[in-house]
Amino acid sequence: MLQFARFTLVRAVMAFVTLLFVSLIVFSLMELVPGDCAERYLAFKNTQGLQITTEDIDAERARLGLDRPFIVRWTTWITNAFSGEFGDSCILRVNINHLLGDKFLISLGICMTSLVLAYLIAVPVGIISVTANSPILNNTLRFVSYLGLALPNFLLALLIMLFFTVQFGESLTGLFSSEFRDADWSYERVLDFLGHVWLPIFILGWSATAFAIQTVRALMSDEIGKLYVTAAAARGVTGRRLIMRYPARHALGPIVNSLGFDLNRIFNELPIVALILTLTETGALLIEALARSNDQQLAGAIIFLLTASIVALNFLTDILLAVVDPRVRRSILGN
Amino acid sequence: MTDAAHQGQETDANVDQKLKEAYFTASQGQLIWARFRRVRSAMIAAYVLVFLIVCGLFAPFLSPYDPTIAGRNKDYTNGAPQIPKFCDENGCSWRPFIYTYERTRSIKTNFRWVSEENRDKRRYLTFFPKGADYTFFRIPFLRFDRHLFGVDEGKIHLFGTDSGGKDIFSRTLHAINTSLAVGTIGVLIAFVLALIIGGVSGYFGGFIDSAAQMVTDAIRTVPAIPLFMALAAFVPDEWSSETRFFFISIILGFIGWPTLARRVRTHLLSERNQEYVLAAQLCGASSSHIIRRHLLPSFTSYIIVDLVISFPYMVLSETALSFIGLGLKDPVNSLGVMLQNVTNADVLLNYQWYFIPVIFFITLVLAFVFVGDGLRDAADPYSDIQK
Repeated sequence: MLQFARFTLVRAVMAFVTLLFVSLIVFSLMELVPGDCAERYLAFKNTQGLQITTEDIDAERARLGLDRPFIVRWTTWITNAFSGEFGDSCILRVNINHLLGDKFLISLGICMTSLVLAYLIAVPVGIISVTANSPILNNTLRFVSYLGLALPNFLLALLIMLFFTVQFGESLTGLFSSEFRDADWSYERVLDFLGHVWLPIFILGWSATAFAIQTVRALMSDEIGKLYVTAAAARGVTGRRLIMRYPARHALGPIVNSLGFDLNRIFNELPIVALILTLTETGALLIEALARSNDQQLAGAIIFLLTASIVALNFLTDILLAVVDPRVRRSILGN
Repeated sequence: MTDAAHQGQETDANVDQKLKEAYFTASQGQLIWARFRRVRSAMIAAYVLVFLIVCGLFAPFLSPYDPTIAGRNKDYTNGAPQIPKFCDENGCSWRPFIYTYERTRSIKTNFRWVSEENRDKRRYLTFFPKGADYTFFRIPFLRFDRHLFGVDEGKIHLFGTDSGGKDIFSRTLHAINTSLAVGTIGVLIAFVLALIIGGVSGYFGGFIDSAAQMVTDAIRTVPAIPLFMALAAFVPDEWSSETRFFFISIILGFIGWPTLARRVRTHLLSERNQEYVLAAQLCGASSSHIIRRHLLPSFTSYIIVDLVISFPYMVLSETALSFIGLGLKDPVNSLGVMLQNVTNADVLLNYQWYFIPVIFFITLVLAFVFVGDGLRDAADPYSDIQK
């Protein structure tokens, strides 16, 4: 137990260090974006008819603390970020937490649901495709899962959306109907949300499933040819029992291990799908912040939250793997 | 037993022996190629891929017009594809022809400009006509003005035209060219980085390996598209389309390396404890010499496979990036730029031929994936044993 606690602690520290490192990358990237908050704010004032001098910009910089050295600013930013405080958005002049609200959780929920859905479909389908030994089934599955890769999400989103608009005259965009957009959470609002959210989940899940099927198939076909499977078969274990008890359990390890990176890939697709379906969640905000308004504070906060959830998921899967996989457990507990 | 039969048996045995010898002395590449040829889906994909690559490489010659605004046909904007025919109700011709289109506007069309075909005026296809100047691969003395085909009068648009009157056929071919170029540069950069980082981390192992792994994992944790977007937002607006193009390819390379690096590392970790490495070390060879001359050649074929597999991801990333408007922009034709044009309902309802480049895009990615998959199976020395 003590060793296990130590393992958890080491993993937690490593996750923390990774997060620090990633935050450094993110923060430096935000610095790369030309111009800073002070300039942008005062450029805005300028359009309002105020005369702006370089002294004003410098004063504003000093007020925002932008004149301090890079490392100091990063330290402040990261300490605040860990306490959940991201400061004000550069352009919108609103507290970022207020701006994000439940949007980040909604995005995370959408991505996690797609991920879970993807593996719920992919694990049985992948196992069947390897064990069924039918070339037709195998080739069809391969083609479908490659199509999931080759047919980009945004194209799929676009086609489905246009199809519905043209056929049923009903637009599927957004996450809420207009009357619920700014309402408080209520039973009707949840229903309305569910009526809209299936499309992004389906679209994100589509390519995620394709990917997952490929992973499961590759791992299963690797494991199924190994000697321990033959040995088990020789001992008289057959059928489903053989598959589930031996190769499937082995194949599961690497899958659990890569869940975090799968989430990463789904997050990747989110902004683009959000753009097409005009979702009002973090993906859309991120595009807005990066592509349109160069809002470093907002973009940095969102990317930080994304990576934090990926790192957290990676940490959780590491622990989960140690719990379920006796080989990993043994390597931790030292025999 | 007759003499002849005896001789025949002997040659059979000889041939068999030769085959065996060829098998055992075959290089890694030959073995992979022999296994690859047996997979039909991969071979078909390989033919398609070669065809598309040739189309991309010789795009300026194969396309009748300049893909930019310079080659626009202002009398035929948003025009439907013109398919060459040999026969119609006015009789047959040995030369393929299309019809002349005339733009009319009347009370019948609600005063909108509409193209009407005039079936009586045929335009015959010509081959190797003179057209706009172009150069191959930007080499100044490879300047030509002959194109593969054209029509004797006016212009021909096999895939129709877009809202600016640009020929979609020419644009598609040039787009394949650009996307392949972006992918190639991206893959090459990713490859060099992966070789250096994966090579060092796999060969030395221990502390260096752990540190390199941590950095790799951290980079894999950052969602790539937001990262792209942040980097692309850094691109000043005044950059020329060419500079932009190179910058985007470089970004793709810088983000694509971790997966490759991981593979290189895994290969190296399993190879570095082999006897031939020890022998080289005992002979006093330096580390870089061992990596370059002994270890890397031992899995060159696998690296090539990895490169082919990572190629479609580069093309996809470029497309996604261009699609949201952060990648390449209009004068440059890439598949992503072309896909941007299909995003409105008007196109789906009235101008379906905008979707033709989409088919090319999907075919290209599928071809790459199938070839990559076939190569991966072929490169696995145990794939024979399992069957």
